[in-house]
Amino acid sequence: MTEPPIIETAELRKNYGSTEALRGLNLQVPAGSIYGFLGRNGAGKTTTLKILLGMTRPTSGHARVFGLDAGAPEASVAIRRRTGFVSEDKDLVDSMTVEEIVRFTAAFYPRWRSDLAQRYLRKFDLPPGKKVKNLSRGTRTKVALLLALSRCADLLVLDEPTSGLDPAIVEEVLQAIVAHVAGEEMTVFFSSHQIAEVDQIADRVTIVDGGRVVVDGAIEDLRENYRRIHLVFDGEAPKPAFRAPGIVRTYRKGRELTVLLSMGVERVVEEARALNPVSVDVIPVTLKEIFLESVTKED
Amino acid sequence: MLWYEWWRETRWRFLIGLVVLMCSAAGIVSLWPSVRELVPVASSLQGSGRIGRQIRESVELQREYPGYVWSQWFRQNLIMFGTLFAALLGTGGLLSQRSGTLFALSLPVSRKRLLWTRAATGLVELFALAVVPSLLIPLLSPTVGKTYGLGDVLVHSACFFFAVGVFFSLALLLSTVFSDVWRPLLIAIAAAVAMGVSEQFALPGSHYGIFRVMSAETWFRNGQLPWQGLLASAAASAAILYGAVVNITRRDF
Repeated sequence: MTEPPIIETAELRKNYGSTEALRGLNLQVPAGSIYGFLGRNGAGKTTTLKILLGMTRPTSGHARVFGLDAGAPEASVAIRRRTGFVSEDKDLVDSMTVEEIVRFTAAFYPRWRSDLAQRYLRKFDLPPGKKVKNLSRGTRTKVALLLALSRCADLLVLDEPTSGLDPAIVEEVLQAIVAHVAGEEMTVFFSSHQIAEVDQIADRVTIVDGGRVVVDGAIEDLRENYRRIHLVFDGEAPKPAFRAPGIVRTYRKGRELTVLLSMGVERVVEEARALNPVSVDVIPVTLKEIFLESVTKED
Repeated sequence: MLWYEWWRETRWRFLIGLVVLMCSAAGIVSLWPSVRELVPVASSLQGSGRIGRQIRESVELQREYPGYVWSQWFRQNLIMFGTLFAALLGTGGLLSQRSGTLFALSLPVSRKRLLWTRAATGLVELFALAVVPSLLIPLLSPTVGKTYGLGDVLVHSACFFFAVGVFFSLALLLSTVFSDVWRPLLIAIAAAVAMGVSEQFALPGSHYGIFRVMSAETWFRNGQLPWQGLLASAAASAAILYGAVVNITRRDF
């Protein structure tokens, strides 16, 4: 029997006045995955995360976490009890010291593991007596991560966890997440616009643009299925009219025709050969290329 | 533990308020000998109309120690500073606190509980501001050769607390509307000033005049508690706080 998804949204919409932040977002995050939620700034990532945690209400559609309705106040409390969250701004209580905020947060989570908190305090080299407001952005991120990891959550929701950090700290944070998840049964859902970090740690990805899902799947599958076919002709490249499914985009420039496809490479190659090109090259596509092709508007 | 976060957020405002009010109360007691000497001089002041009547009333009150304490402390300084600090304690709700909004909202706690806990913590602080500085009056009065009843202090403090709670609640409600600290504070203070002025000119002697309830004037003059005003103030505070809870549960962050 298939396990139900940890996070599920159906036709999720959110309007801020006349601005549509989400336009029918459909998501399914399977249990146990490290799920990257990739999109440009303003694509609707933070709005989605806030809806999942009951901080923002959807205009229409549904969001369920652990099978619970994220929009219902009581269910939302139950969701947050099982979820660790790191906000984009690494929002913490500035007036508390690191030690105080750890003690304060621990009081809300029955499964809180003090041994883990102590381990991360040492591992991240956090100053227990220092006030949160005096911490650098990198150290704040580590504190936020400590608080999210030590509560033994079933789900970790991270909103741009590495934004504004230097590469060394990015690496440290990503490694900590991966190492933690390896030892626990948990799902990680993290938003980012850093393709490299999604590529590095995620096993599944959703690319969102303009409040809608434009690409979704396991990263391995995307790598396996996405291809760029480069055709060169003797004369002017013909106007393409492929019938095969999975064509994402085609470009025509002089004697060259390039096709980006998400599936069924053999069938497209077969159709392409029927156009009598001089050469046909099938090139693998990186996640970065998939992202850029998915979120860039066609001219 | 939720109260702890709010205590951290407001403790300096509370402590400054406590110190200011305690200094003011102690100052009033210590000035009694000088005031007593000045009363005969002040009695010769002539004035006509409303102002003259108020001056004469004020001088008359200050002939005796209880009247002096009531007019200077319970009717003047406590109300003035207390209202300011009540509004200050009420500002900085979830929306306008300096940090930790999303952090607080990510805790497994309903928004209703978050706001009620903050309101309760603020009201405890406000109660301490109402009672502790006033307790200095009976404590310090022997130093100027006088006594002041503890029972009177408690009655006045309780009346002050119930009435000033309206401005605390108003500031808390406004803090769920505006995302900065200043607008809730300024609007709450402006509302207090407007109510004070209207009470002076439009509702003199009304049972529901909030500053009259705050000073427990009826208790001082004829030993009667201002029940109607107290109930009206408590009901207004409860309604405003309920409005704040409804507002916070409905909004997006």
